[in-house]
Amino acid sequence: MVIGPKIEDISPDETLEVCARQIIVNYFHQMMSYKEGAKDGSDIEFVHDMRVTSRRLRAAMDNFADCFPEKSFKKLYKKIKLITQTMGAVRDLDVLIVRFEKELGTLPKVEQSDIRKLIAHLQQEREEARKPMLTLFTKLEETDFERKFLTFFQGL
Amino acid sequence: MAKAHKITGVIPQDSYRENARTILSQKVEEVYTWEPFIHDAARREELHNMRISIKRLRYTMELFRVAYRSSKTHAKGATTTNDKRFNEFLGVIVDLQEILGDVHDCDVVLEVLTDYGTQAVQTDVAPGIAKLIARTKEIRNADYKTFLEKWEKLSTVNFKQQLLLFLAS
Repeated sequence: MVIGPKIEDISPDETLEVCARQIIVNYFHQMMSYKEGAKDGSDIEFVHDMRVTSRRLRAAMDNFADCFPEKSFKKLYKKIKLITQTMGAVRDLDVLIVRFEKELGTLPKVEQSDIRKLIAHLQQEREEARKPMLTLFTKLEETDFERKFLTFFQGL
Repeated sequence: MAKAHKITGVIPQDSYRENARTILSQKVEEVYTWEPFIHDAARREELHNMRISIKRLRYTMELFRVAYRSSKTHAKGATTTNDKRFNEFLGVIVDLQEILGDVHDCDVVLEVLTDYGTQAVQTDVAPGIAKLIARTKEIRNADYKTFLEKWEKLSTVNFKQQLLLFLAS
């Protein structure tokens, strides 16, 4: 499980707007740090960590929405939501595969083959679910999303 | 999944600490909008929505933890009674999120197993799949019961009021 960014450094007597920018930027950096691992796909924890951080980022954005101009904020928020959703599809299948693999050992051999077929089916679905995620990552890179997001929230 | 309730009354130029009170109380109320549905084990969607609202409350509490520390604690990193109480409340929230997560996981597993079982060429569901369906139903029932017991226990001690009072302090 990922740990939140250093919220400890925030001064609670500072204005909400200043703190909101700091928190959102921190979460965003953390989320994007898992992207290459998620693209690679060999370690399922990267998808998990990126998804969890995107959820934390969205929770922060929900709370701090009134600190920012609505139109641009909503546009960026939607992109983060899309990241959570596409990663969620992959993560849900990862969780199911791991769970059914654990169940294998608890079943007699004759019943194990039923579960092996199910796992193979889910692995195919996982490969399909990775495609929209990879397409989204490419699109985010092509549209310079990272720079735009940071420029907006760093108030540059 | 239900959308997060729109937060109102936030004042960006007021302090982080002051806004914490405004935001957190609304997050608590969001959780309790799902309470009327929890006594029906079949209300999967509402139980799931409650889990998501609890998760949002948890993340928001973690965001604002720093606003509930005394300035002394903040400087030295020591633990005070306030920190302890905050951690206790947060621990309850995490516990509820986890048990509802277990219930939800079972619901998802049951859906996948049932869909897969009925897609199979043969008329009968394969024995391995049928066994897992039965086992998962049992686990789901037990997890749901555990959740309800925890919830009832918290209601008995007025957890909501205690939490709201603490967060407003």
